[in-house]
Parts: sequence; structure tokens; C-alpha cells
Amino acid sequence: MVYYLIICRSLTYAQRTEAALSRAGITAHILRAPKSVDSEGCTHGVRVSERDLTAALVVLARVKLTPKRIFIFSSDGSYKEVVL
Amino acid sequence: MTYLDSAATTLQKPAAVERAMAHALTHMASPGRGGHAPAMLAADTAFACREAAAELFHMDDPANVVFTLNATHALNLAIKSLVKPGDTVVVSGYEHNAVTRPLTALGCRILVARSPLFEPRTILAQFDRLVTGDVACVVCTYVSNVFGYILPVEDLAALCRSRGVPFILDASQGAGALPVHMDRLSCAYVGMPGHKGLYGPQGTGLLLCGEGQASATLLEGGTGSLSARQEMPDFLPDRLEAGTHNVPGIAGLLEGLRFIRRKGEATILRHEQALTALAAEKLSAIPGVTVYAASDPAFQAGVLSFTLENMDCETVGERLGKESVAVRSGLHCAPYAHESAGTLKTGTVRASFSAFNRKKDVERLAQVVGQLAEQRDK
Repeated sequence: MVYYLIICRSLTYAQRTEAALSRAGITAHILRAPKSVDSEGCTHGVRVSERDLTAALVVLARVKLTPKRIFIFSSDGSYKEVVL
Repeated sequence: MTYLDSAATTLQKPAAVERAMAHALTHMASPGRGGHAPAMLAADTAFACREAAAELFHMDDPANVVFTLNATHALNLAIKSLVKPGDTVVVSGYEHNAVTRPLTALGCRILVARSPLFEPRTILAQFDRLVTGDVACVVCTYVSNVFGYILPVEDLAALCRSRGVPFILDASQGAGALPVHMDRLSCAYVGMPGHKGLYGPQGTGLLLCGEGQASATLLEGGTGSLSARQEMPDFLPDRLEAGTHNVPGIAGLLEGLRFIRRKGEATILRHEQALTALAAEKLSAIPGVTVYAASDPAFQAGVLSFTLENMDCETVGERLGKESVAVRSGLHCAPYAHESAGTLKTGTVRASFSAFNRKKDVERLAQVVGQLAEQRDK
């Protein structure tokens, strides 16, 4: 299943991101970022579905929550960074 | 037990506080230290507590709500973020040692805005004279922990803003009953305990951080973030929360905050002020008792000091304790306040109220103090 992982600078920001998206009706879940995408250690991200990314970015811009990085998780199990 | 020492710790808590703590002990692990259910439940609880505090204290960003051990910890973080050794700091004449001892340890030049009790205009004039551009910061208590005197902190915050001087508010005695509007006050920091007017357990406190503050750390260690780096994160709350959180405490504090939200700060304040006025009236009627009450009750929160002529305040406290009336006697860790009020040599006996006290508690206090006054006269 393809999804996007919005990397946040802290757990609290991931929680704010999840809360803002949920309030906007976008399903979001906090995950610990895989080590393969996380060079800084112990990073949290918020998972959203492929179809919700654009709407999610609009919501996050509105509440001034800037994603640190965004990755796409492909069906082959790999993560690739998305350049916005 | 007639418990009248809520200025130290509220003993009666909402029932949900104890339940939440018990649940946290057996179901919650450490926020940010794992992706498993107990860790995520702890993270959800901590975040809910930050959000509840941000809502109650009118803050946009719950990340600026930092968990501390108590108000002293919070105030140390605030002071040591803004003040360097040798700096000049202005404080009120009603500060607690939680403020003045860190400033003394830093070797600060402490300028004290002194004024008699319950004279907000006089103390504002003193601050106006002392707060100049070369002052590192102003620290002021919201409510005197000895006398219940409500200081004019909104006007003081405006004065500090107009002079470009950072303001630290010690809301130890005000939070939960008086409004704390971070958006209106524009404080650099507000420190408060969780275990007093917020009805949480001991070992909890909050530091509310103004936008853009570059906070200094008191502790360094694991934060569950940026673990590959050896420097502390530069973002809140992680920067100031090294080590494992007091999750049961935070769970209890969350329920305390919810209780205040349901009941309303204004309702709690009215209730405590009514009990204070009643206590002042009843104690004043006892021969030999001096009561430190405001002529305008709007200037006094739920704390009342008194003395009994020819009886040491510690003796009064001890005798009350033997009759199951819990008060606090002495200097209350606030020698500045006693100096301002002229009670440094005698100390006072302090009765302090919470949302859970009733008129009968005041009546019991007055009854026992009346008996003490009669026994003393024989």
C-alpha cells in the first residue's frame, strides 16, 4: 500500500500535525520514522494516504506546521523523498 | 480533618485524578521512547495535557507547554534562560524563595518594588520607577503565597512590554483561579505548580514559554528525539524535558486541568474569595487576633494570614494541627513578603482555601482559634 510519511521535528509536532489533520477530516497516524529515512535518530512522522497528501499540506500550511521532509512509501517497501 | 493549606498543596483532588494516575501506572510507558501501545498511550496523554494547558492559558502552540517537577523548577528554567550572573533584575516585595534564591545564586543585583499590602497602584509606581532598559528581566508573583494579595500583573506586563524588558510571571498561587492569558500578557515565561490550584499531584509543574524564547537547559539527556546528536534539541518542549517524564503525574494533572475547565476559574475564585472574606470576618471578631485582609476583597485570593497576640505563630499552627485543622505557620518561604508586610519577626499563621473547602471549614478554624485565644487569656 502506498502512503506518505510527513517527517516532523519532534513527537509533539507530530502530535500537533496528527491533531490538525484529524480535525480537518484527514486520517493520519503517528509512526516512528524508519531508520532508513532518519539520519538524526528517534524521529517521528505522520502517515497519510496517497490521495490525502495535497489536502494535508493545505491544512498544515494554514496552521503553520511546516513538514520537515516528506517520504513516499512504495509497495516495494522502499521510501523515497518527495521534493515539494 | 479541616484542611486549609491549599497554598502549599491541594489535598482534596477531583476523583478522576487518582483514577488517571492509577491507570497510567499500569498502562502507560514513556512518551517518545517507542512505537508500542503503552508508549503511544503515554504520548497521547502528555499531548492532551499540553493541549489542555494551552487552552486554559490561551496559548497557540502546545509545544510551548513544558512539564516540570514543580514551580521552583519552572522558575529556575525561566530565570536561568534570561539572567546572567551580575545582571539587574526587578522583583516585587512579595516574592517566594523560588524566585529570590536563584537570583541570589546568580549574583544578581535585585531591585525590590516594595509597597504595603493590597496597594496595587503603589507597587505599580515602584515598578515604573525601577524598570529601565538595562534591567535583564522582571519577575513577579501573581498572588502572594502569604497574604493572598493579587498583584496587578496585567498592568505590570504592559509596563514591561513598553520598556522592552522580559517578564516572568510566578503563577504558583494564581493559576487555576485567576486568568492567565499568555496571548494578552506576552510574558517571556510563566511558571506554576501542578499540585496547587491545578489539582494535579505533587511532582508536577508547568513552564509556559513565550514565542521565540531561547531557553537554557538545567538538565541534559535523552529526549526521544534527534538521538544521533550530542547537543540538546533546540525546539520545545524537548529542549527542556530531558529524561523520562512523570507520566502518572501528567495523567493526574490532565484531570486537574479538566476539572478547572469544567468548573471555571471565575467560579473557583469567587468561592475561595467568599471563604477568605468569611474567615477574615470571623477571625477579626476574636480578641487578640490580627487579620491581614484586603479592604477591597477583589485584591485578595484564597489565602489569609493572621496572628494571635502573645502566642507564637508556630504554637498556633501546632495547636490547630492537634485539633485536626491543617494550616501553615512561619515565613512560608517568603521572607520578602513578610518584610513588606512588617511580619518578618513574628511570622504569620496562614489559612488557604480550595474549591473543595466549605463554610464549615472556616467555622471550625474560627472556633479553634477562639478557644486558643480564651485558653491564652486564662
